[in-house]
Amino acid sequence: MDINEKIIETTIEIFTTMVMMDVTVDGPPLQTSGALTDSITGMIGLAGTHKGVLAIHIPNHVAIAITSSFLGMDVAEIDDDVRDAVGELANMLGGNVKTILSENGRDIDLSLPSTIAGHEYGFKAATDVDLVVLPFKTEAGSFLVELQLEK
Amino acid sequence: MGHNVLLVDDSSTMRKIVGRSLRQAGLDFDNIFEAADGLLALEVLEKESVDIVLSDINMPNMDGIAFLREKANRANMKDIPVFMISTETGEDIIGEAKALGAKGAIKKPFTPDMVNEILGPFLK
Repeated sequence: MDINEKIIETTIEIFTTMVMMDVTVDGPPLQTSGALTDSITGMIGLAGTHKGVLAIHIPNHVAIAITSSFLGMDVAEIDDDVRDAVGELANMLGGNVKTILSENGRDIDLSLPSTIAGHEYGFKAATDVDLVVLPFKTEAGSFLVELQLEK
Repeated sequence: MGHNVLLVDDSSTMRKIVGRSLRQAGLDFDNIFEAADGLLALEVLEKESVDIVLSDINMPNMDGIAFLREKANRANMKDIPVFMISTETGEDIIGEAKALGAKGAIKKPFTPDMVNEILGPFLK
């Protein structure tokens, strides 16, 4: 399966079965995630036969709505619950991407997920990478899923 | 009669989601204990009566595989069944988990029906 298709399939599956929120693809793949404003990014690293990072970039108000739906409780601001939920989204996406890149599950290791958040920041690779940036849309707003793989 | 379950995951979100899925699946638990890694899970198992453990694999401090290995060496807890709940579903990793005593695996993302399908027969 094409890596873009797998990311789309996994994202929709995660949101449908666990976040309890409808999500659709919001247009064609982008060249870059660009400048991220008032957002939170969850990311997880891949190391081994494939090296790179999987990230999900979510505007704060969308992350709050996603976390509220995910946990089934009201969330009002970017707090530990939001950071944990966004990290777990990255973890699930990364784990599923690993399953199609890995031969046997042992040739690629995943890092622990982490998050960054800020008023304005960029997410760029320091080395030459194959880049996939896929836009998604929910009723609360849009977000991006990005995969960088070392060439 | 109900059971006591221990949920082991470094994500507090995932522990809540798994607990909610167990309830939605209609599985009857008297107590749901939580631990954020394998080391803390061992502490819970030393103190509490636990009937079944649901554990992530990729965790800090002590991951799910190391937890299984350590648990297998402790006579007072080695027979408590463990199911892995993880994005890590490669045959080698799940095979290693099963060789260390894991009874099965649930892949993230999952639905309450999937949880019931795997755990239900075991709890009846």
